[in-house]
Amino acid sequence: MKKRLISVLSMLLAIVLLAACGKTATPNASNSTAAGTTTGNGGAKTYKIAYIARAQSDSFAAWLANAVKDEAKKYPGITLDVFDGEANDEKENSMIENAITNKYDLVIVQPNNGEAQRPYVEKVVKAGIFAITTNARISGIEGASSVDANPYEQAAVNARAAVEQIPQNAKVVVLKGPSGNFHADERRASWQKEFFDKRPDVKIVGEQIANWNKDEAMKYMEDWVQANDKIDAVISMNDNMAAGAIEVVKDNAKFKDMLVYGVDGTAEALLLIQEGKMTSTCMQSAYDLATKLMETSNKLLTGAEKQIDTDIGNPLVNKDNVQEYIDVLKKAGAIK
Amino acid sequence: MDLKNVWSTAKKKYSIFMVLFVLFFICSIINENFLTPNNLTNISRQLAVTTILAFGQTMLIISGMLDLSQGSVLALSGVFAVSAYKSTGSLVIAVLVGIVTGVVCNIVNAIMVSTFKAPPFIATLAMLTMARGVALLFTKGQNLLQLGNFVVFGQGSAGIIPIPIIFLVIIAIFTWYILKHTRFGRSLYAVGGNEEASIASGINVHKVKYTAFIINGIFVGLAGVLFMSRVNAGLPNGAVGYEFTALTAAIIGGTSFSGGVGTAAGTLAGAFIVGFLDNIMNLASVDSYMQQIVRGAIIALAVIYDIRSKNRRTKSAMGRIEDKEKPKAIKAK
Repeated sequence: MKKRLISVLSMLLAIVLLAACGKTATPNASNSTAAGTTTGNGGAKTYKIAYIARAQSDSFAAWLANAVKDEAKKYPGITLDVFDGEANDEKENSMIENAITNKYDLVIVQPNNGEAQRPYVEKVVKAGIFAITTNARISGIEGASSVDANPYEQAAVNARAAVEQIPQNAKVVVLKGPSGNFHADERRASWQKEFFDKRPDVKIVGEQIANWNKDEAMKYMEDWVQANDKIDAVISMNDNMAAGAIEVVKDNAKFKDMLVYGVDGTAEALLLIQEGKMTSTCMQSAYDLATKLMETSNKLLTGAEKQIDTDIGNPLVNKDNVQEYIDVLKKAGAIK
Repeated sequence: MDLKNVWSTAKKKYSIFMVLFVLFFICSIINENFLTPNNLTNISRQLAVTTILAFGQTMLIISGMLDLSQGSVLALSGVFAVSAYKSTGSLVIAVLVGIVTGVVCNIVNAIMVSTFKAPPFIATLAMLTMARGVALLFTKGQNLLQLGNFVVFGQGSAGIIPIPIIFLVIIAIFTWYILKHTRFGRSLYAVGGNEEASIASGINVHKVKYTAFIINGIFVGLAGVLFMSRVNAGLPNGAVGYEFTALTAAIIGGTSFSGGVGTAAGTLAGAFIVGFLDNIMNLASVDSYMQQIVRGAIIALAVIYDIRSKNRRTKSAMGRIEDKEKPKAIKAK
């Protein structure tokens, strides 16, 4: 009886494991089967690209990886494999090394931490393989290309509008990304220079690191609401945290006129701007990055150019133009 | 029993509540916003999710196990519940899906730990990775939005009492009752205190361990529903590290990692000590790096206190027979 139970249970465990494995393997498997061939029909060369993502658990990074994967399908001569750096420098670096060993024609690196990946991207170049760094770029590597958005500008477009919008002697709170993160630090520095230095009357009544997370931002905001009877503006380094702050006060009449700024242009932020609960964000479009990445890859691989450094735009999204961005997301099926 | 004995028993049994009371008193003095009904409900609402997890940990730790997969399983249960709600529109189905997901994951934990004798630390670490993977795969790493009425669990109130607090109270009473007044509860202490002795005395250890994990699964599933509802989104990468907050509450509340010791009230007090500290530091705008240092120091103090009192307990092991909560937990070592 006991033996039977054990065997039934272990079967169950095996099935669960297999199901989980089978599912995760599918997207990679379908890509890598195509990647095996170096010559396509009619003798045209097929190129292999390795896309090394910072972390598939980071929602922006995952969005970008999916967008790049879809974009790559438009290029019949190119196959693309996605690797997950799991937010770990060590892991990401060894994946770059593996890509060199496996003789990819081009390696795209979305660094977890630019300086940690720099020597490995240099190795890629040294091995005679094309390298592109993206979101954020690692600048100053001889022979490597880059495609990025400019984090300073992303925050600055919001900050410049805020200089006009935030009332005199306002009380504001600031939600920051993880310290040491390039985008987090640049965006905060941009707010300092473009807003706080120009508006010495504004008082920061709370500033905390909420690690890009909605739930952590909510907790800080809940406490700030207790400590301050008035908060005029929330200055958030990304949209997730901004949405968390809004969640806390959404039914509170006292905070009806609170201004909220973010960066990223997530679907949630766009909907909040449309409802009038959020002031503005800067669109960091994964679709635009993906399009540029594949264009750049194609130019490099076909020998049209040797090195390319390019940026996507940093459009400010507010209630006046939010509808056109929502339409794009609706067309892509991201929201209903 | 002389006065000295009464005092030392009281100190042992109620010291955590004294700490809580003193902390409450200090917080009330140093910040005028602390002792307001709004802020106190605010703290309870913030604590609901991690405290529910802490009750699950308490039962597991008492029986000599633990669960590192809580945060990941919470996220998985939560996103499953959210998408069940989005496709059926039924809150009941959503909650059931959340609970079933939590239970299934924890049965797998129990199979690894009890049937295959894998160390709980490693087995649940495996589940931590797997469950997070499934949650991310299922959502393609994207947040689920537009939850509609689903937010009622995390944001609604019955009268003036927020619904998460009602869940918290029910689960607290349930845990207290199980630990204090049921055969299963006593078996948990026995298994954690000395597994071989419990087998010898006829306790079905497998059954105890499976049940502990299943109850933990129910708690984690419910916590998942509350969490996603509170943040008004299905966050596949939410609640990272919540198992450690839950463990911290249990340990500060006097649950011992060596097994066989712990109470529901202690865990509740532990959770509130952490919650009060976090809250007062935010109210007083303490720097976020400083907050991390303080949080770490508190855990260190709690563990040192636990070890010191364990030494004292061992020395007076013969005097422990009068302790009614853990009749079978007399340790041989």
